[in-house]
Amino acid sequence: MSTRAVIDISKLPSHEFDTYDPVWWGNNLLLAIETSMFAILIATYFYLRQNFALWPPPVAQLTATLDPLPQLTYGTLNTLLLVLSCGPMILTDMAARRDNRGVCQIGLVICVLCGLGAIVLRGFEFSAVYFRWDSNAYGSIVWFMLGMHMLHLLVLTTESVLLTIWIFTREFDMKHRVDIVTVGVYWYWVTAMWLLLYVIIYFVPRLG
Amino acid sequence: MSKTTRTIPRLILTLVLALCFASCFSSCGGIQNAINPAGPNAANISRLWWLMFIICSIVFVLVMIAVLLSLSKRTTEAADRVPVLEPSEESERRRRNVVVSATTITVIVLFVFLIASYSSGRSLGLNDPTKNGLSIEVTGHQWWWEVRYQDVDASNIFTTANEIHIPVGVPVMFSLRGADVIHSFWVPNLAGKKDLIPGKINTMWIQADKPGVYRGQCAEYCGFQHAKMALWVVAEPQEQFNLWRQNQTQQAVAAASDVQKRGQQIFFSTTCVMCHAINGTPAGSNIGPNLTHVASRHMLAAATLVNTREHMAQWIKDPQTFKPGNRMPQNNLSDADLQALVEYLQSLK
Amino acid sequence: MTVAVDDRELAEAMRQEREELEKTWARPRGLWGWFTDTDHKAIAKRYIFTAFVFFLLGGIEAALMRIQLAFPENHFLNPDRYNQIFTVHGTTMMFLFAVPIMTAFGIYFVPLMIGARDVAFPRLNVYGYFVYLIGGLLLYAAFFLNTGPDAGWFAYVPLSGPAYSPGKRVDIWAQMITFTEISALVGAVIVIGTAFKMRAPGMSINRIPLFVWAQVVTAFMIIFAMPAVMLASSFLASDRLIDTHFFNPAEGGDAILYQHLFWFFGHPEVYIIFIPALGFISPIIVTFARRKIFGYVPLVLSLISTGFIGFGLWVHHMFATPIPQMGQSFFTAASMMIAIPSGVQIFCWIATLWGSRLDIKTPLLFVLGFFAIFVLGGLTGLMLASVPLDLQIHDTFFVVAHLHYVLIGGSVFPLFGAFYYWFPKWTGRMLSERAGHLNFWLMFVGFNLVFFPMHQLGLNGMPRRVYTYLPETGWGTLNLIASIGAFILAAGVLVFIVNAIWALRAGVVAGDNPWGADSLEWSVASPPPNYNFHNLPVVQGRYPIWEATADAPVLRGLSTKTRETLVTSVMDAQPELRFDIPGPSIWPFMVALATGVTFIAGIFTPWAFLVGAILAGITLTCWFFADPNYENKAARDTGEKSHKVAPRAELQPKEI
Repeated sequence: MSTRAVIDISKLPSHEFDTYDPVWWGNNLLLAIETSMFAILIATYFYLRQNFALWPPPVAQLTATLDPLPQLTYGTLNTLLLVLSCGPMILTDMAARRDNRGVCQIGLVICVLCGLGAIVLRGFEFSAVYFRWDSNAYGSIVWFMLGMHMLHLLVLTTESVLLTIWIFTREFDMKHRVDIVTVGVYWYWVTAMWLLLYVIIYFVPRLG
Repeated sequence: MSKTTRTIPRLILTLVLALCFASCFSSCGGIQNAINPAGPNAANISRLWWLMFIICSIVFVLVMIAVLLSLSKRTTEAADRVPVLEPSEESERRRRNVVVSATTITVIVLFVFLIASYSSGRSLGLNDPTKNGLSIEVTGHQWWWEVRYQDVDASNIFTTANEIHIPVGVPVMFSLRGADVIHSFWVPNLAGKKDLIPGKINTMWIQADKPGVYRGQCAEYCGFQHAKMALWVVAEPQEQFNLWRQNQTQQAVAAASDVQKRGQQIFFSTTCVMCHAINGTPAGSNIGPNLTHVASRHMLAAATLVNTREHMAQWIKDPQTFKPGNRMPQNNLSDADLQALVEYLQSLK
Repeated sequence: MTVAVDDRELAEAMRQEREELEKTWARPRGLWGWFTDTDHKAIAKRYIFTAFVFFLLGGIEAALMRIQLAFPENHFLNPDRYNQIFTVHGTTMMFLFAVPIMTAFGIYFVPLMIGARDVAFPRLNVYGYFVYLIGGLLLYAAFFLNTGPDAGWFAYVPLSGPAYSPGKRVDIWAQMITFTEISALVGAVIVIGTAFKMRAPGMSINRIPLFVWAQVVTAFMIIFAMPAVMLASSFLASDRLIDTHFFNPAEGGDAILYQHLFWFFGHPEVYIIFIPALGFISPIIVTFARRKIFGYVPLVLSLISTGFIGFGLWVHHMFATPIPQMGQSFFTAASMMIAIPSGVQIFCWIATLWGSRLDIKTPLLFVLGFFAIFVLGGLTGLMLASVPLDLQIHDTFFVVAHLHYVLIGGSVFPLFGAFYYWFPKWTGRMLSERAGHLNFWLMFVGFNLVFFPMHQLGLNGMPRRVYTYLPETGWGTLNLIASIGAFILAAGVLVFIVNAIWALRAGVVAGDNPWGADSLEWSVASPPPNYNFHNLPVVQGRYPIWEATADAPVLRGLSTKTRETLVTSVMDAQPELRFDIPGPSIWPFMVALATGVTFIAGIFTPWAFLVGAILAGITLTCWFFADPNYENKAARDTGEKSHKVAPRAELQPKEI
């Protein structure tokens, strides 16, 4: 004969938003890794800049109208698109928390379209940089920064597509609602990183 | 564990440690030795070394005593003893005091080291503008040293390789560059090392206080023959140095005898002329070491071989035997041609 | 109101539950099982075995080098072969042995020590292992085909650049870095996720075992340090493959940039290797001193501050470059300062041992070896921290001596101690104590014979990475002594291998807790069941087994029919979720293959990344959609409202 006290955890849910869920932690740790990577990329940018009297370096051609500064159009459009796309993402996030499947479906589709748009614009941004990756160190680092961020746009958009397919075709369960919120965090992070990179790539050379 | 099985490892251990320590003091002298200083830079560092070595040895011994003392109470088969979860206040307080004291001493020792290190570094006086005078530019190549003596008067500028002469008691500015990959210029008897990095210029000053020959060696892995990229620094009295320098600024000795002329002809008709310069002749390539005064050097192939006729012949015929992978090709010359070439080169004093 | 419970009924119910748990957590069998198994213990043992094989390979490379260097102008190895061997030796030991094996201990023991059934992300764990294996196989395939990298384990540019390292040798090295670094990062995410969120109730943050603290600090270091080497190797690979100019001074690139990028990773890397070993030492000392650790809080703070300060030292590898001296002095100060937390830990451990009646079994013997060897290595580290002194001893055999004293003394000796300590838990058998003592003494004597003379050799002018030396230098005697020592050290390792093989068959059967230790892994069978704990424990203190009382509450409510474990809060380990643990799946292996194809083909063409991205995308999609636990789950999750706060009221112990 023995007595036992019991802590009964059977009523606990299996998923929950934000810091409750290990997926939140996993996602944010991965973002910490990528943030370190971007921080070092940015440090490299400034380090290499010290080696140049003029940044970007002057063009070895005679036409005075050639401006080696990266052109602003596509970059700025992309920045606006990404910032605005956070809107539908936030609404989707809130809808996932409120268990509103319909709004999630629409919101995610809009986000996916924004993501695709951003990728296309990013393609144009590469051409707006006067130099190629193999022209000089300036070209190398700028292409790398644009490229690494584009890699994230690709992963982000793909992840969103997969989630969209899921919530159209399968259960709108707690696990995948948490996934939507997680993708939301990733979305805001990609935007934030881009804002930082945008300022550095497009405006630091214009500081003179 | 029986007494014997405990004593034997202890004996072996003591023997080994004794051997280790003995081996250390076996070679305190010698060239290419950082704690056998021949100049103020190396002497400064050597003093710092001894300070740190002595203090670190004391710390090590104290920590080892503490570890050994903590082993003084022994037992066997302790797995079923009741663990102590509530040690006495008294004993915890004593431990705390010891740990805090030890930590404090650690911090103090570290401060001592920091100050010693910093003041040693300051008196090494890098880039000190008062120490101008003789200025030498060293460029590291795979796997030899290009040495260029600078001067305000252009006629005093000359290039040599692998052997540097400096006057005793005079600080000499070195400016260091890398031609291809990173090398490191290190003459332990005289100073610490500095890297030769392509795209950068590094500077250091060196002074020898005793005449002598000091061997240095490349200290940054630079490819196949990193192991055999050494150099000599010859410190000599000012007058002797001046004579040496005067000679080095001269153009090459003209080929006198027939054999030497034949040798010079061979030099120009084979691959030699494509890499090596001899001032005063049309040979002007600086891909390889400058040979204008090659016969005046003590060593060949970046201090790998003693500069004798025989070694030179062997080296020219097949450099790959001595330094496999280096950039000098084999030269399939007949014995007579080889002898003539060597005669000529050995005349270039 | 307490109610008496019938013992026999209870025992029967328990037995039934165990059967169900065994079925639910059953590991897949056969060849397919090897590729799909997600059990953290199985993956960890695989990591340990693989890393140990790499350790032996690295040791053979070292032996070859010592044979070559035993005599001046020796012709045992030609320079090309020697240069490949020293590069592969360093690369193997640092990337393929040390980091993976330390991560592996974390993957095996963190769930057990915190009272969880599995790690937080089991499939990711499988992916991490296969990526690591592919990276290691890549390096050795190249090495055996005589295209091993030969630019040193840190591959400085311009030597490793396209102009001076033709062919694919360095590209292979750079991509291998990618594999091992992905694997380490994955391991780090898993360790943190598990240690933060899956601790048993009652294991609040001040009760976490020091082993787990060490693993968490290491994991954070991995997260912030690895990206730097990823960029360094990617820049190098792209300079070589697609003509970028990161390191080309002619186009504005910078050779020193590479050194900054590499060492910003490289210095934390050695602490990543060292700190887990500190986590081995604490439990071994506690167990054999049979008292609580002295200075738990200072020890934790020391681990954390070592982790932090470790990021501020990297320029001490670059004192010979033209970096301004003022800046360099900062790094001298930081490099000396890191001795303080290390010192605190050593003093606390000695204080724990002091006065206790000690039974010097093999694990403790290796810890004592650590004290002797690591302290000496740390002291030579202070010498190297000083800029002027470093300018003499940098890049000489003095550094080779120092690094082996701190890495072998600081990591490998505790590692062997850990082998002897935890072998019974993995296998259910004890290793032989007599062989263990022999193992220790051979390694200790052999190690000192090899590496102590190297201090003198460095002072005598012998630089690193030389395939031979001239007889006139007088370095022959000390080199010969070192070479003899190498074989004694090797004999010690051999004794260990024989001991392990013998013990697997004929070792004394270990019970659950042969050492009478205090932490939770010793409260389950040896080896543990697949599901680790039948009932998750409720922890009452820092030393769960020693402090367990008879009336501790029991945790009930996890399903035995689906794979679940408890998720709790970070600070106080309050129960929060019944978290689904995915079961076996082939997709992590497939994604690892896709990763492998991408990066290996990427050695030869940049288009590989496009194809690889598509392959990875497909396999990741399959991973996402194939949820191996889906069918087993109750439908309770569908339509469930969010709980902002877990229903705490229901979680107070109630009596039945």
